[in-house]
Amino acid sequence: MNAPLHSGLEHWLSAPDDSPAPDWLLEHRRAARARLSAQPLPHSKQEAWRYTNLKGLLEQDFTAIEEPLSALQPEDLDTVLIPGFDAHRVVLVNGRFAPELSTLGELPAGARIGGLRDWLDHDPESLRGRLDAARGESGAFFALLNTAGLDDGLVVWLARGVMLDRPLELIHLSVGLDEPRVAQPRHLVHLEAGAQATLVERYVSLGESLYCTNAVMEVVLERDAVLKHERLQMESRNAFHLTGFYLVQDENSRYAGVNIGLGARWARTDLNTRFRGEQAECVLHGLYLAGDGQLLDYHLDVEHAVPNCRSEENFKGLLTGQGRAVFDGRVLVSKDAQKSDAAMSNRNLMLSEQAEIDTKPQLEIYADDVKCSHGTTVGQIEPEMLFYLRSRGIDAAQSRRMLCLGFAGEIIDRLSDEAVREHVAETVGQRLA
Amino acid sequence: MLSVKGLRANVGDKEILKGLDLEVGPGEVHAIMGPNGSGKSTLSHVLSGRDGYSVTAGSATFEGRDLLELEPEERAQLGLFLAFQYPVELPGVNNTYFLKAALNSIRKARGESELDAVSFLRLIKEKLKILHLDDSLLKRAVNAGFSGGEKKRNEIFQMALLEPKLAILDETDSGLDIDALRVVAEGVNALRSPERSMIVVTHYQRLLDYIQPDYVHVLARGRIIRSGGKELALELEEKGYGWIDAELAA
Repeated sequence: MNAPLHSGLEHWLSAPDDSPAPDWLLEHRRAARARLSAQPLPHSKQEAWRYTNLKGLLEQDFTAIEEPLSALQPEDLDTVLIPGFDAHRVVLVNGRFAPELSTLGELPAGARIGGLRDWLDHDPESLRGRLDAARGESGAFFALLNTAGLDDGLVVWLARGVMLDRPLELIHLSVGLDEPRVAQPRHLVHLEAGAQATLVERYVSLGESLYCTNAVMEVVLERDAVLKHERLQMESRNAFHLTGFYLVQDENSRYAGVNIGLGARWARTDLNTRFRGEQAECVLHGLYLAGDGQLLDYHLDVEHAVPNCRSEENFKGLLTGQGRAVFDGRVLVSKDAQKSDAAMSNRNLMLSEQAEIDTKPQLEIYADDVKCSHGTTVGQIEPEMLFYLRSRGIDAAQSRRMLCLGFAGEIIDRLSDEAVREHVAETVGQRLA
Repeated sequence: MLSVKGLRANVGDKEILKGLDLEVGPGEVHAIMGPNGSGKSTLSHVLSGRDGYSVTAGSATFEGRDLLELEPEERAQLGLFLAFQYPVELPGVNNTYFLKAALNSIRKARGESELDAVSFLRLIKEKLKILHLDDSLLKRAVNAGFSGGEKKRNEIFQMALLEPKLAILDETDSGLDIDALRVVAEGVNALRSPERSMIVVTHYQRLLDYIQPDYVHVLARGRIIRSGGKELALELEEKGYGWIDAELAA
């Protein structure tokens, strides 16, 4: 007997189908569901949900997608591809792995990339105990919900020392259906010792329809592994988007993440990172642009659990019209994590009087020999800068756009592929026009 | 070319310009000298359209247009250029992108087509040479992290590129050592032409050793109290500005 779900979420989990699932997975889903119903819905008295209201999400009464969408042709993808971006490409449509649209190409020996469903069919034991990310308090509710419906997504497994020659592009394509639907893709990225990859994860849609994505990704970097991870959230402007990201890093591994948030009407992103081995480095960059009717909410939970690791969190925001954003960043340095180096920064450019930002960077430090800093700014375009550009003949609107792109450029420049950088800069420029 | 008549301007409630007259003809170089607080920078800013000043009386006509009606970018498109006393740093705004946007805005206003990438780059490199600037400047953000001298040279470089009809050099000599001053002055002199007028605003006579003006005006307490040839600058150098108080008191 399944535990009941909260009002507004009753239809998020599809009825059990016939697809074979290992017992541990069935139990895993059941346990998550039980934990969910024992928890209250996230509410504004919880620190992690203080600025973000669930009402709009719940009243949509989203329904899980039962059947994969089979009518798409490869040319339907054309409108969402980034011209000139050469990558191993995996496509998910409405949360389901779509092999007919994916062009993985040739992979090096020791690189396994495929749909979670297929993986569970063929090699379920390799994933036992792996899909267990919903720890911690921040945002865990929706990660549990994802786990309760755990079904399909992407698995990337690179064996020891394997390096991907090209970036791996993961496209989450959402196609509007008659009713508001929710997709809950679940991803696992595991890099064994010394493996290296660049992952470009994109959330896009055909049309501006209403839907919800509740994605969870777990990443494990074994020692010396290197992952560049670029997330481009460009959902439909009518969509709801949730991401729970869970990273664990072993000794001397490197993670460099860039989070670009431009789409969705309501988006909540939880980034949880944890050092498990020393000398590891985690860099999180972010850029969000919130305009009329948009709420973009970021929560960072960076845990220095062991000594001698370095983390850097640098998020920048552009807010226009009646756009709203939240930045809630927390760095926790445990008692034993001596020689930790952590720097957190959140800077915001307000382009209208009606825009709103709630920013709250926090350091929680229990070790005594550390180098930690945090800073936050909320400002406007400097009149001197604007005048300088205009005095050179550039009109006011273009001058403002140039200054905003200049502000955003520090983050956009972190993207590793030129075609992706151009795509993002162009999209930001259009949004500011 | 430029005709300023009875110009009065306030910052807040305080009147800074108190009835200023100035006529600049084509190809002429006018120096405006004066002590601190005389209104030199206010004049530069009011002419170029900076916010924060209210004009209460008088007029400024440029190329037959009422300058004070125009937006700053329209003034630039008409051929006015201000070399800033304190050039502004624009972090993240790439210099090449900036120069291209500026040049194309001005070309468009003149009814000319946009330059293609090759011609643009050729033009840029030619102008960089005049100011002894390295083309690594093109990859950097506008003025960001530039030394004082580089910033001032960058101003004159932009002037060379945009080819204005009237350039206002606002204390371009301030903060420059003698070598940098010479480079800047050479750049300015290379741009002198029968069609291009300049207003050189300065506190010191030093710059005028290198940029020889046709006319010198003394600005004090918001008005031009004396005008003359370049010998007036030398007189100021000799006597300082102390005599002004005595003269105005008399």
